[in-house]
Amino acid sequence: MNTLTTVVVAFNTLANALGQLLTPIAWLPDWLSLTLIAGLTGLGMLLAFKYTSNQRAIAQIRRDIRANLLTIRLFRENLRVALTAQARLIVAALRLLGHALIPMAVLTVPMIFLLAQLALWYQLAPLPVGAETVITITLAGPTETPLPVVILLDNDAIEDVSGPVRITSQRQVCWCIRAKQPGYHTLQFDLEGQRYEKQIAIGEGVMRVSPQRPSRHWSEVLLYPWETPFPRESLVQAITIEHPQRSSWIAGTDSWIVYWFLISLVAAFCLRGFLRVHI
Amino acid sequence: MAELNNKTLSRRSFLKRTVAIGAGVSVAGAAGAGLYLGSVNRVSRAAGKKVIIIGIDGMDPRLSEQMMNDGQLPYLAKMRAAGGFRPLGTSIPPQSPVAWANFINGAGPGSHGIFDFIHRHPEKPQAPFFSAAETVAGEGGWEVGEFKIPLDFWPFRHQPPRTELRRQGIPFWDYLDEAGVPSTFYDLPSNYPPSPSKCGHHRCICGMGTPDVLGSYGTYQYFAEDNPPEPVHEGGGKRFPLRFVNDTAQIKLLGPENNLLRKPESTLVELTIHRDTAANAAVIEMGQKRIVLKAGQWSRWVDLTFELRTPWFLPGRSVRGIARFYLQEVAPNFRLYVSPINIDPRAPAVSISEPSSFVTDVARKIGPFYTTGFQEDHKARTNKIFNDQEFIQQATLVLEERFRLLEYAIQNYDDGLLFFYFSSSDLQSHMFWWSDHEPHPSRSPEEAAFYFNHIKRLYQQLDRVIGDIIDRYGSVATIIVMSDHGFANFGWQFNLNSWLRDFGYLNPVECPSILSEIMDWSRTKAYGLGINGLYLNLKGREREGIVEPGAEAEELIEALTQGLLRVRWGDQPVIRNVYRASEVYRGEAMALAPDLIIGYHRGFRASWATCLGDLEADAISPNLEAWSADHCADALEVPGVLWCNQPIRSDNPSLVDIAPSILALYGLPTPPTMTGRNVLG
Ligand SMILES: [Zn+2]
Repeated sequence: MNTLTTVVVAFNTLANALGQLLTPIAWLPDWLSLTLIAGLTGLGMLLAFKYTSNQRAIAQIRRDIRANLLTIRLFRENLRVALTAQARLIVAALRLLGHALIPMAVLTVPMIFLLAQLALWYQLAPLPVGAETVITITLAGPTETPLPVVILLDNDAIEDVSGPVRITSQRQVCWCIRAKQPGYHTLQFDLEGQRYEKQIAIGEGVMRVSPQRPSRHWSEVLLYPWETPFPRESLVQAITIEHPQRSSWIAGTDSWIVYWFLISLVAAFCLRGFLRVHI
Repeated sequence: MAELNNKTLSRRSFLKRTVAIGAGVSVAGAAGAGLYLGSVNRVSRAAGKKVIIIGIDGMDPRLSEQMMNDGQLPYLAKMRAAGGFRPLGTSIPPQSPVAWANFINGAGPGSHGIFDFIHRHPEKPQAPFFSAAETVAGEGGWEVGEFKIPLDFWPFRHQPPRTELRRQGIPFWDYLDEAGVPSTFYDLPSNYPPSPSKCGHHRCICGMGTPDVLGSYGTYQYFAEDNPPEPVHEGGGKRFPLRFVNDTAQIKLLGPENNLLRKPESTLVELTIHRDTAANAAVIEMGQKRIVLKAGQWSRWVDLTFELRTPWFLPGRSVRGIARFYLQEVAPNFRLYVSPINIDPRAPAVSISEPSSFVTDVARKIGPFYTTGFQEDHKARTNKIFNDQEFIQQATLVLEERFRLLEYAIQNYDDGLLFFYFSSSDLQSHMFWWSDHEPHPSRSPEEAAFYFNHIKRLYQQLDRVIGDIIDRYGSVATIIVMSDHGFANFGWQFNLNSWLRDFGYLNPVECPSILSEIMDWSRTKAYGLGINGLYLNLKGREREGIVEPGAEAEELIEALTQGLLRVRWGDQPVIRNVYRASEVYRGEAMALAPDLIIGYHRGFRASWATCLGDLEADAISPNLEAWSADHCADALEVPGVLWCNQPIRSDNPSLVDIAPSILALYGLPTPPTMTGRNVLG
């Protein structure tokens, strides 16, 4: 598990660096940026498919399929011939699937990281100025031991409305804060003289929102790629900020991924003749 | 002039400041809302003519005049100086649903059929209902397993349960609508469910009478460690116990009933509460969402989603509501108040505006707000969950929200009629009004004066808001400020049914309530129901009527009237007038009218018990409730107010005159359905 986490963290570093290319999302209407990205994803998938699959073999199978379809039409009365052709069709379909396995395997990893990067933009909305939200910090250690004192240091970007409130049974400390200044800011927490940081996104429109700075666990790190995970031995295990959902039909919370998927498929389908890719 | 400008500035900044409070909520969800609002397609034929009406429920002419004389209401006083102030004749009886319906129809209760807060069907006197709207039970349904699904299409045509507006007659905006004059109402009382607009020029957010998601007129939920071990359902709310284990407790918020079930059951939202006694605060957890509250702190609006169980073959359904949480105490006795769960204006479960999208458009722009008819939680004060200060705090939250909505209303107003309603003055006056020198039944003189000053400050606040509107629109709009009735002390309560029993009109003597099974209708000639209504047990009309119409009824009416007018408390007369419905009402909607309407002197009102038909030992007793002032007296005792920025022609205008006056401002004649007349310019 340790190794997996290290690998995910390393990939995240790369993905975050490449993710800088997504910065223009903030300047475009959400539907436009998502359409462009989905189109480019479709193109990328198609090219990856072209160079990682056996195009000649796929073309051959497609010809077989066409031949068998013709056979079925011509020999409708001859049951034996028709059935053989149908069996061949099934085999061909399975072979096509087999040929798709390698490209799919190759594409899976970059897709996961791309989706994690896109989720930073489209899954949640930044905190509007004036809105209140809850910050939760999760600490390490057994539940029986008393919680240490955690201080949210003063920051011009936010106003501390209430807190810290401790949930001993879950080793968590919560604050209610009010967003004051638009932009990306870093909140600082003091715990026994140590500083811990968490990014916060305040403003309107589309911003890169990292709702959680995660613990060092591969699944958490995969879901929340933007901020460096806390080390395994850290007293602070995670810091979470609740963000509002994005209300948009196309690029809103949870709906964006459906739209992205559909558009990338449509793009790949439309471009396949142009790029002469057999799929 | 410089002084005026300064004042202008301070008034503006006043409204802005109140608007700025909690503006965060309003910013949320604001993006893109302009798009929706721009989509309303109405071609106004108002020709730029603007009429703005500010309806201030319960604003009293005596107090207003006194405060204007003392220079405490400068902007209203200025209108008075220009001939634009009169007491405004109210309805018989002066109850808000009746009075506002008079305003709406430009005619009295005989035209709109609302005679009291509470009505009864003559054949079912034991089932009183709220007069302005009636819930009609569903009919039919496809029974499948534990479910009963209404199929409202052909050939089944099952009827799901629904609420019907009981107000009859033609509301004045229908005439404006027909003439192409736009009208927009924010929180209009006596109009739920909203009456439809025929030509699309009328918009309205429903006010008084609008239910919460439970279908009630406001049900708070109160969780405390010292609550009784079993849930208690009290008028206006429910109390639940809660128990902490390791500083964590589980509670369930009650939602609407799932009517898709054969045996409807309440939906629930489960909450987990973690308290931190050292920090004197708590975290409330709802699924993924958390709220952090210190003791004494109010949350903002919290979204609640109640899932309704459906059969497997139907998609899941849910009802959205909003509530505000108020953490009263963390330890030693944890106390949490949850406001009535209001219909979420961003996704209303039932239509609460005309058109339905109107309230949604507004809420998208300014965020969620109270949608129930009664927004100030007077029940929480009456049931001693709030103390006076807490009630003021909650009422102030409501008022701030109203100011924000008013700012929106004004900014989104072009021409035609704009109506905006304030309930604060009414519901706070019920608790804090005390105008005379006689001792308050439950407060010291100092305390009574302290809280009455709060009402005066509220009047001043409203005066500044009106000043702001005059600043912006005074030169181009007719501005009307009005109330439906005034106010009076309510120190003594009169139990009409007990009085009827004492004089042998109602039997048997040991009967605890007219709704009781031991009620002997064969020996009962008259009964009281509602706040001002008295009904004869008339043969042919009532289910078990014994009084012959004609001479016997006439004699009885005469005897009752004389008897009631003679009632004394010490040397004070209790009842000023007894009106005969046949003399004070006329119109098509008389079916449910009481026979007599009791008009009390100031200081007196119907007792709490008698309103719902209960009897007490004494006919007269002190009123020791927190609700210590009222207006359900004689109409002549509690007129409302009318200010206008143009002279008022009549010396004795009345509520029914407002509608004809508005129509006249748009060049429309007074329709024959109205009994009022034009009293402006
Ligand atoms: Zn009232």
